Amino acid sequence: MADSDLISRAAGGDPTAFQALVERHRSMVYRVAYQFAGNHYDAEDIAQEVFLKVYRSLDRFRQDAQLTSWLYRIVMNACIDHRRRQSPVMSAPFGEEAERRLLNTPEERPGPEDHAYAGELGQVLEGEIARLPQGQRIVFIMRHHQGLKLSEIAEALGLAEGTVKRQLHAAVHRLRGALAHANVTAGERA
Amino acid sequence: MTGCDRQGPGVPQRIVLYFYDELEPAERASVERHLQSCADCHRTFEELSLIRSALAARPRVDAPADGDWTAFMQRLDAAVRVEHGLDGARQRVNLDQAVVPLARVRAPVNYVPYLAMAALLTLVTSGVVYVARSTSRPSPSSASVGPQAPVPAPSVTADPAPVALMRPGEAPSAKAAFAALSEQHFERSKLVVLGLANKDPHRAREADWAYERGLASNLLSDTRLYRLAAEERGMKTLAGVMADLELVLLQTSLADAPDAGALQQIQRLIHKRDLVTKMDVAAAMGS
Repeated sequence: MADSDLISRAAGGDPTAFQALVERHRSMVYRVAYQFAGNHYDAEDIAQEVFLKVYRSLDRFRQDAQLTSWLYRIVMNACIDHRRRQSPVMSAPFGEEAERRLLNTPEERPGPEDHAYAGELGQVLEGEIARLPQGQRIVFIMRHHQGLKLSEIAEALGLAEGTVKRQLHAAVHRLRGALAHANVTAGERA
Repeated sequence: MTGCDRQGPGVPQRIVLYFYDELEPAERASVERHLQSCADCHRTFEELSLIRSALAARPRVDAPADGDWTAFMQRLDAAVRVEHGLDGARQRVNLDQAVVPLARVRAPVNYVPYLAMAALLTLVTSGVVYVARSTSRPSPSSASVGPQAPVPAPSVTADPAPVALMRPGEAPSAKAAFAALSEQHFERSKLVVLGLANKDPHRAREADWAYERGLASNLLSDTRLYRLAAEERGMKTLAGVMADLELVLLQTSLADAPDAGALQQIQRLIHKRDLVTKMDVAAAMGS
């Protein structure tokens, strides 16, 4: 059954339809939440919040819209809301004025030097992703991991596409810096 | 792109956009030509590829830690029930089922108005009784001169009057009674919440756990009445704290015994919602 049909039925009071909807999309939601949060506890909270928001919004879903786009929008905002609740310093809204602050405010988590000992490049990079300011992090996750176009991310977050580009660019810049910091560059590996 | 747009040691934005396939065809072709002649940009592109492959090699996490969605679905089920004010304690989830019956989440009949109506009738009546009694109640110092009850546990059978129910314009004495009762309910509930928060999940004895669940079940219905009444009166802050408390109590009453995983989840919920502090603040504000 198509997602739109499940939503219609769920909104009309069919309980099995909502259950089927959750089961169908929970892995994707959890994956994004985990990539954003970096731990199961917060990932589960975010995923819970996402599906509660979906439940509350069933009546407002436009039948001509793509569920995945709608869901991604809810996931992204849930990630950001979750972070805001946990860390007031990160509560600045998106936008041109807040962008510089977001770009320059690292998360207080272990840096690449703390992971480098493991000699695992992916782990080093994951550590740096966790340190990215939330704006950069969500944009990077949605573009790099989920494959959303920058225009889709901009629409979902209500940002100018130029802002999203800069967030992605800044994230990549920092990840490249983490590579250099860990002395694991493409040239050394070659 | 006729030349390198690199500015300083940073990553050229066009290389990033090229890497992520965000350029128009003409500009993309231009960047491809540039990469063949610019060693720095080519190296940058290689590094982006390395980042991609390294991250792709990391374990993909798309399920809870143990790969079991049961607890997740149970928690969602409980949260949705709270959302709708349904009686979760009576419609128990079958914890043996792999998938929680979210089927019961959306009942075809909306009970909330009826529950709220019943709550209001009960609460207003009991509130009047409480106010009447409170005016002739002896002082605490003279109230208990005999031996103390042997069981130190809080009485959680029922609040004397969950009366979060003073409408704007109601008598100040009625509001004072409501504030006092709300505080009492929070105090009772706090003992249970603190008991849950401090219990060692791996050492909880079955009898203790059953006791906590019993207390939670007893408090649950009153908490729901408080929440419904607060919502009815537009008291959003109080309703929010009651909703958090209700969720904790509901999850506790539904949990298996002894279930370390369930207790840990409840403890995490208490911590995440900062429930004890919220209850203290709500009580201090006179609800």
